[in-house]
Amino acid sequence: MSSTLSQAGKSIRTGRPHFTGSHSHLPQRRMALTVVVPAILYYLILRYYPVGQTLFLSFTNATLLAPDYQFVGLHNFVTIFSEPVFLKVLWNTTYYAFITTALTTGLALGIAFLFDPIRRGVGLLRLIYYLPTITSAIAIATIWLWFYQPRFGLFNQILALFGTPPIAWLNSLAWAMPSLIFMSVWGGVGFSALIFIAGLQGIPSSLVEAALIDGASERQIAWHIKLPLLSRVITFVFVTSIIGSFQVFQQVYLMTRGGPLNSTRVLALEIYEDAFQHLKIGQAASIACVLFLIVGVLTIVQLRLQRSDWEL
Amino acid sequence: MAQVTAVTSSPASSTVRSGYWPHIFQRMHLLNYLILIVGAGAMLFPFLWMFSTSFKPRAEIMVFPPTLLPATFTWQNYANVFDKLDITQLYINTGYVTIVKTSLMIYSAALLGYVFGKFRFWGQDFIFYAVLFTMIIPFEVYVIPLYQMMVFAKIGDTYSALILPHMLSAYAIFLFRQFMFTIPNELIDAARIDSAGEWYLFHRIILPLCGPVLATTVSFYFMWNWNDFLWPLIVITSSKRAMLPVALATFVEQHGTDFGMVMAGATLAVIPVILIFIGLQRYVVQGIALTGLK
Repeated sequence: MSSTLSQAGKSIRTGRPHFTGSHSHLPQRRMALTVVVPAILYYLILRYYPVGQTLFLSFTNATLLAPDYQFVGLHNFVTIFSEPVFLKVLWNTTYYAFITTALTTGLALGIAFLFDPIRRGVGLLRLIYYLPTITSAIAIATIWLWFYQPRFGLFNQILALFGTPPIAWLNSLAWAMPSLIFMSVWGGVGFSALIFIAGLQGIPSSLVEAALIDGASERQIAWHIKLPLLSRVITFVFVTSIIGSFQVFQQVYLMTRGGPLNSTRVLALEIYEDAFQHLKIGQAASIACVLFLIVGVLTIVQLRLQRSDWEL
Repeated sequence: MAQVTAVTSSPASSTVRSGYWPHIFQRMHLLNYLILIVGAGAMLFPFLWMFSTSFKPRAEIMVFPPTLLPATFTWQNYANVFDKLDITQLYINTGYVTIVKTSLMIYSAALLGYVFGKFRFWGQDFIFYAVLFTMIIPFEVYVIPLYQMMVFAKIGDTYSALILPHMLSAYAIFLFRQFMFTIPNELIDAARIDSAGEWYLFHRIILPLCGPVLATTVSFYFMWNWNDFLWPLIVITSSKRAMLPVALATFVEQHGTDFGMVMAGATLAVIPVILIFIGLQRYVVQGIALTGLK
């Protein structure tokens, strides 16, 4: 989504409206004022102030219930970075984000290219692929909790058909994270695929026709023409998906609560539990700052990549 | 363009299409269909499984190998859900908050999108970017002070606390602003010459033109608001004001082993959104195209 920042700039330059006519601009000014001023206040009070407050809290030992707090300087940051659990959390989140995104993007790209040449039944198929995206995470978690259930779960029943011993899935140190990733890929692939399909449809047909006339096969066109032209969209999907995955909360909260032995604990869960269960909002705020820093860096990377990308 | 010349310079590969059947096979993209249908099956299977299990009696759920369709059909699981969860109340609560939030977000986004897209005023670009910037801030980053503010304002555990932080959406504002660029200025000027008031102009001329982007944003935000989880989890503590996803999560935690019943609960949570989605499918797809491109 953050790429829209750079794209918005473009349309400002090209789409600047002009008011013609000699009538007074006063009513417009009045309307702009009545609309924009409340919006500014809204964003100052309910976005910018709390973000600043989080930064402020991260330097204190504040708790959720007690009104008193003291400045502790960088103590919270020193504490979290010296805790092995937090380093594990950072690693888990990064691992989850990159693996989920790589698998989702790759798979979605494949699906989009399969969709590209076909015309009939596209609507229904697209709908089915998109279904997990619109479904609430809790409903999906409920289904997958059962698939992963150690004794009666579907996956272990299938394994039993082949005489393979059952796997503890979400209760297993080795399998918990892959199980979460697998579920997230299933849930996210449709959304990315739809963006790629739209991107493929946006490729000018003149380019494809020119290549066809020159005798390029369909595979060559896909590989040498469409894929490079799609690189902008691929970058966009890849980075936004990583940014989104760094904020993963629901799946983990509902499926494993970070267990077993913190093997699936992620940043957002850590913030939530520190703040609202252990009531240590000072420390939770410092973790929130780390999360914001990561997301901020990724956003800058994205804006850079999109700017330097060549356009048709 | 480098890629194009690369292809043309390579010897024109005469794709050997020997025989009639392989030719037809390729032309109709049967392989594409085959793979996509298998994939669609994998996408659909968990939902069908949820649906099917929700109608199975307890004994049948544990049967090995599992049955695909219920051998004995029962409504018992749904009866149990209604017994343990006040589903009607949850629908009303969640529906109310979702509708209020979605309407506020969309109306304000249309208004702000119009003003940012069609008006010129001092500091316009700066303000717009300041609004757009909030899009990249993860919710977890400001959730703690937000909660404190709600408690301070004495509206913790109320619908106001759920609605207030989500009355404006930078993303929706952005979508509407983009759409406003497609409305010709001449139209607006003509209306002004006919001495239409600014608000009249917005409500009677601009808003009716926003059909597609309205449908897109409504369907998106309905889904997102209906499924919202973290904020209701933190803010709402009394069960009579509970939101469906959070209530269902607690329910699954408590009765996780009663698979038929939790599947019935999950089905009930999914149905409204799927109905909305099927109704507005076209616009959702358009909306996704808007997300990535343009």
